[in-house]
Amino acid sequence: MGTAAAVTALAAPSIVRAQGEPIRLGALNPLTGAGGSYGPTMRKAIEGVVDRVNAAGGINGRKVELAGEDTQTNPDAAVRAARKLIDVDKVSAIMGTWASACTTAVAPLCWESKVFLTTVSGSDTITKLPHQGYLVRTQPNTHLQIGRLGEFLLELGSKKVFVLAAQTPFALPSQERLGEVLKAGGSELIGGVIYDKDKTTFRSEIDQALKANPDMIYLNGYTPDVTIVMRELYKAGYEGGKIGQAYAVNKKLLESLPADVTEGCYTVAPSPSVNSAAYKRLAEFLGKPDLDPYSCQCNDQASLVCLAIAKAGDASGTAIKDAVRKISQGPGEKVDDVVDGLKLLAAGKDINYEGASGACDFDDIGDILTTNFRYEQVQKGAFKTLKVG
Amino acid sequence: MENYIVAMLVFAGLYGLMALGLNVVWGMAGMINLGLVGFFAFGAYVSALLTKVLGLPIWFGVVAGAAGAAAAGMVVAMVTAKLRGDYLAIVTLGFSEVIRITASNEIWLTNGTDGISGIPGPLRGQVTPEAFNLIFLALVAVVVAIVVFLLQRVRHAPYGRVLRAIRDDDQVAAVAGKTVIRFKVEAFALGCAVIGLSGALYGHYTSYIAPDGFVPLITIYIVLALTAGGTGNNYGAVVGSVLVVFFMESTRFLTEVVPGLQAVQVAALREMLIGGALIVIMRLRPGGLLPERLPRIDLPESNLPQEKKAT
Amino acid sequence: MLTEVVQLVLNGLMAGTILAVPAIGFTAIYAVLRFPNFSVASQVTIGAFAGYVANVTFGLPAPVAVAFAFLVAGFSGLVCDEFVLRPMRPAGPLAAAIAAVALTIVLENVVRFWFGNDLRGYDLPVLRDWRFAGLRVSPQQLENGVIAIIAMACLFGFLAFSRMGKAMRAVADNPMLASIKGIDSVAVGRLVSFVGMGLAGLGGMLLGLDTSIDPLTGFRAILTVFAAAVVGGLGSIPGAVVGALTIGVAEELSLLVLDPAYRSAVGFVAILLVLTLRPRGILGERAF
Repeated sequence: MGTAAAVTALAAPSIVRAQGEPIRLGALNPLTGAGGSYGPTMRKAIEGVVDRVNAAGGINGRKVELAGEDTQTNPDAAVRAARKLIDVDKVSAIMGTWASACTTAVAPLCWESKVFLTTVSGSDTITKLPHQGYLVRTQPNTHLQIGRLGEFLLELGSKKVFVLAAQTPFALPSQERLGEVLKAGGSELIGGVIYDKDKTTFRSEIDQALKANPDMIYLNGYTPDVTIVMRELYKAGYEGGKIGQAYAVNKKLLESLPADVTEGCYTVAPSPSVNSAAYKRLAEFLGKPDLDPYSCQCNDQASLVCLAIAKAGDASGTAIKDAVRKISQGPGEKVDDVVDGLKLLAAGKDINYEGASGACDFDDIGDILTTNFRYEQVQKGAFKTLKVG
Repeated sequence: MENYIVAMLVFAGLYGLMALGLNVVWGMAGMINLGLVGFFAFGAYVSALLTKVLGLPIWFGVVAGAAGAAAAGMVVAMVTAKLRGDYLAIVTLGFSEVIRITASNEIWLTNGTDGISGIPGPLRGQVTPEAFNLIFLALVAVVVAIVVFLLQRVRHAPYGRVLRAIRDDDQVAAVAGKTVIRFKVEAFALGCAVIGLSGALYGHYTSYIAPDGFVPLITIYIVLALTAGGTGNNYGAVVGSVLVVFFMESTRFLTEVVPGLQAVQVAALREMLIGGALIVIMRLRPGGLLPERLPRIDLPESNLPQEKKAT
Repeated sequence: MLTEVVQLVLNGLMAGTILAVPAIGFTAIYAVLRFPNFSVASQVTIGAFAGYVANVTFGLPAPVAVAFAFLVAGFSGLVCDEFVLRPMRPAGPLAAAIAAVALTIVLENVVRFWFGNDLRGYDLPVLRDWRFAGLRVSPQQLENGVIAIIAMACLFGFLAFSRMGKAMRAVADNPMLASIKGIDSVAVGRLVSFVGMGLAGLGGMLLGLDTSIDPLTGFRAILTVFAAAVVGGLGSIPGAVVGALTIGVAEELSLLVLDPAYRSAVGFVAILLVLTLRPRGILGERAF
């Protein structure tokens, strides 16, 4: 392989030779299986960043090549896919893993092979893995995310909150955390049901929730099951408040349900502002006005990786690991676009990237630091931003 | 690339062990077991919990994982002993789902859907990842060789003949004085032990197990592997598993070259190719690549002198 | 407490009525062709998407779209059987069953290739539940239930009175005798593949009317469908109905004592219990 590359380099004109070997990055998203409704746009967001970096001349003159694989939303398939990315494509970073089980399965391969991993998984346990710095996530952990959601519910004046949650790694920790926050604010978590998300009807689960007579229900699942639950809540004549995570209550959910059913549902997402240039640019690129948090995060993950490589002047996973916090946070000039950032870095300036998903500042174990959250409400089948803070 | 091939051979070996276990239950004794992944998970959890939580040595965990899966298999076989094939298929499928659901919900024991991470592996961390891969491949290869050797012995032994007789017609076997149920339960337990062994090794190889990894799709892959390799043939089980992993992996490279597709279409195309390839193999070779060949029975020479000439 | 139990039973019967439709399809194919055709899973999905195209793309009302779902899934089932599964059958029922599993993987991904993974909802108003005596019933579920019952009634009428229906039953009861009587078993096989998979597709659309659809729609429902067919007695068409209602009600009633996350497990425990008492299912294996 080395010889082949050398021969190509010799045969090529001198200008190409100066550009050096391409930088190889990996995208590992759920294209099939339970995460299939998220993966495709996550992948597009990553591809978009790579295309723009290449159109702008690459990173320090080196082209970026993206290798993509499918986790099949299954840890076993994810491990095989990651092995291919690491051993065959020789990527220095893997971006966009979803579902805690897939991320936790892939993470050891990454840190053992010194490959940088960026993920959207929110389960608290992920950043506690012994990853030696080779992992960051753009999704706030359950503790932070539910803390903010709970505070928002207190602001709304919800007194009796019920949780309807899909069986996921964050279901139980979320419920416990929400109980604490509500209690501290004088409200109450009056109960919760954890359901099997592959069922096609949840009428009896909803009866259990309604029996408790809540004034707010937290729908803690993913889009397919939350769609069903929301429809059934409407049918059951539930008139109280609803709140869901923005990755579940997203544009696709609104499109597949009549406006009456979704009316008034609150959503929470980590985000700077829908008015940020990064968000608007990504929305335009993906051709949709409302972005789900995962595609925003994937856009930022790819941008951060590219900028870290430019900053380090080295495309290895270790270099990315060491440089990522130098471009994601600190006193440098704020940039919201990867191409602008590359230009500033080339001019020798310091930068602080703030993307479509938020400020992207990380603590030592790779968790996202307190970030702004965006609170929205569904009104007449569309999202209306209530506040950012 | 070398490391990738080594890793995939490890996967093929572990799938091969599962296929060998299935071959005992299905190929030799004629019982359908669509709950493979449940016994695989059982072995994996037993070994992971013993080594990670109680700190017992890996070899002990692996042996206990196999024994635990055998015990689970024995229970399932006794409960289902009277069921006919098609029913057994659905009950065992259900068993594997019950195992997965239990592992998801009994958080105190299994850590729920978060799974168990940091399962120790032989020399993991003390050698480079590449060396670990090679060591594990060697380990899996040795285990597969031993299991094939032992199962071949079983197959050729009178015991194996009884199992085949039961498979082909259990009433005739019963009339011939064989306690059909005892043989069936034993065969089921033996097969499950091999499957559990595979699960235990799997956990020590990937260092992480979670309920999401133990979905019926794995069972489907193994059943297809054994069918493609040759039901009833131990070598076929191993060959079929290598073939299935080869299909799953080579399709990544095939679909990469198709232009103008979105990522999700590439992923869909890949799975279509895997399914399609297996259908084609089954169509072209209904008995699998290595069809079952019944062991030659040595008859007294005086009765059949022509047999001597043939050999 | 009593109201609660009645409500659970009601929910279970509603869910069971819908599940009965694909379960009948599965069991009817088993009755005639004598192998478990696992590819019902993908025909459920194909029917749901065909209905979606008719309803949303062409703007047809739901009951018409349901007929479209039946035809498309039936045709797809017929073609798949003709070119993939029938050639496998000489190698034994298991070979055909396993090929059907591989076929499911292929078909699910054909749907994914064309439609992507996005969730889709039918163009239907969502109606509030009707309430009486402390109970609630969804008009949509009721309508789905009625469609399911009409479909089943048509099938029973067809089996009881039409020439082809009688031929189908004859083959199911005794293939040897049927062939002596000059019944063309290949034609009957084609017919049952068409009708059975058509019912699977119709059931897929009914499931989708109340939820949303994506390429995994069939896969999510399928274990319960198998369970229903087995509990009722594999190959027995009335059995599939009884089995689906049993599983539906058992899953709901389990909520009284069990965590909802264990609901899928209940179906299988029910299978085990029923089969222990009656190893050939509740109604045995006679087709009709």
